[in-house]
Amino acid sequence: MSCRLQSPFLRLLAFLVFTVGATPSGRAQGEAEPAVPERIDLTNFPGELVDKVVVPIPAEIFAVLDKLDEPDWNSGIELPAEGEQGRDRAILALIFGSLVGEGFIAVQAKNSDEIQKIGRRVLAISESLGLAGAVRPHSLAIIESAGKNDWSKVRDELDATQQTVRTTMESLRDDELSGLVSLGGWLRGTNVVTTFISNSFSEDKAELLNQPGLVAHFRTMLGSMKGSSGKSPQIRAISTGLARLEAIITQSEAIAEEDVNQLRDISRAMLDEYYFIKP
Amino acid sequence: MNPSKNRRPALLTILVLSGVLSITGIVYAFVNEAISLALEAATPYVEQGFEVREDNWSGEVEPGKPLLIRHQLFRGNEYWFWAGTSWPGATIKVDIFDNEGNSVGLESFAKDSFAGVRTLPQKTATYFIRVVASYDKKAEGLTSAERGANDPVEGVGEFSGSLDWGLVYGYR
Repeated sequence: MSCRLQSPFLRLLAFLVFTVGATPSGRAQGEAEPAVPERIDLTNFPGELVDKVVVPIPAEIFAVLDKLDEPDWNSGIELPAEGEQGRDRAILALIFGSLVGEGFIAVQAKNSDEIQKIGRRVLAISESLGLAGAVRPHSLAIIESAGKNDWSKVRDELDATQQTVRTTMESLRDDELSGLVSLGGWLRGTNVVTTFISNSFSEDKAELLNQPGLVAHFRTMLGSMKGSSGKSPQIRAISTGLARLEAIITQSEAIAEEDVNQLRDISRAMLDEYYFIKP
Repeated sequence: MNPSKNRRPALLTILVLSGVLSITGIVYAFVNEAISLALEAATPYVEQGFEVREDNWSGEVEPGKPLLIRHQLFRGNEYWFWAGTSWPGATIKVDIFDNEGNSVGLESFAKDSFAGVRTLPQKTATYFIRVVASYDKKAEGLTSAERGANDPVEGVGEFSGSLDWGLVYGYR
């Protein structure tokens, strides 16, 4: 992400604060270490637990996988054929998130052509969601940065695209849709990661799938969906899939090779419900 | 050298400009200043290869009341969490703990409105980030601006009883 302030006014203020009050590069070493308790009691925390869950982007997991192995990221790209997406906004939100997840895979593969295709598809689906105005600048930046092989910028813009859509949805009181965007991206990322780990298993790689808190968060989110979307066959199938993923992930700390294979198949079946739909 | 004296011109500028903007009705409702400040704290680390996420946490809290934020981390990545608060004279701290409550911060800083903590997770799991924003309205040795403009004009600049806070993170 580009670290930028959102207005010239704030840029000026931040510049003044930093130039007068601090030397950023020396702060971590130069400032006195604040007193930190060695241990806190999480069961009796004297404060407030923040509800909001920030879902990691697939690139965070991909970065670790790249340190442990040399996955053939190009083999992981699987952009579904273009077709009728329907009008259910919940499904469109899931597809949007999964397309962004696809973009992160293509960035890892440094595949400029695929990223540009994905950038255009992201814009098309945002039009169906009525959010093209907010997404277009990011989509164009994705396409342009991919043309320049500026992978870091593409990653930033994919994250920004997802965030812009989620923020816009939340401002329109569409919090449910915002959560579905995150779920779609997480699911696509999880599926490709499980596929790579299945192909070349190691306990270190399998540990990346130890995410029970996130699975529980998504289950709660789907369980609290209101309206007809929450009762659609696709959402119910995804909900069931999450329950199956949770059962595997939480049964033990170490995730075995057979567990990874199951996680791969379940996540694929969930994506088949709305993303890899057979024509 | 007293660091707080160095900050006075900047803080006065912030206060005066904020006051002018409020009075003239210019409202930056879409700008989260605490997040903007946390992102400024992150800037030097971007040059070190940290990818800073767009998503973040923010809100308002009573001074001194600790906040606990759950977050999934992956072993193999290195993380920095940066916190900010925009209220003049307020301070903020950030620490990180594993799911048993043990401190896992390897390096940290706390400088008035900014704070940060670095960690290298020893396992892939849910971790807990603790944020504490503090403000001593009657602190001695601070200018009125740093105390939070204790001489309000028609409510402008008056401390409302809660502080804004924001938290961002980056990984590499």
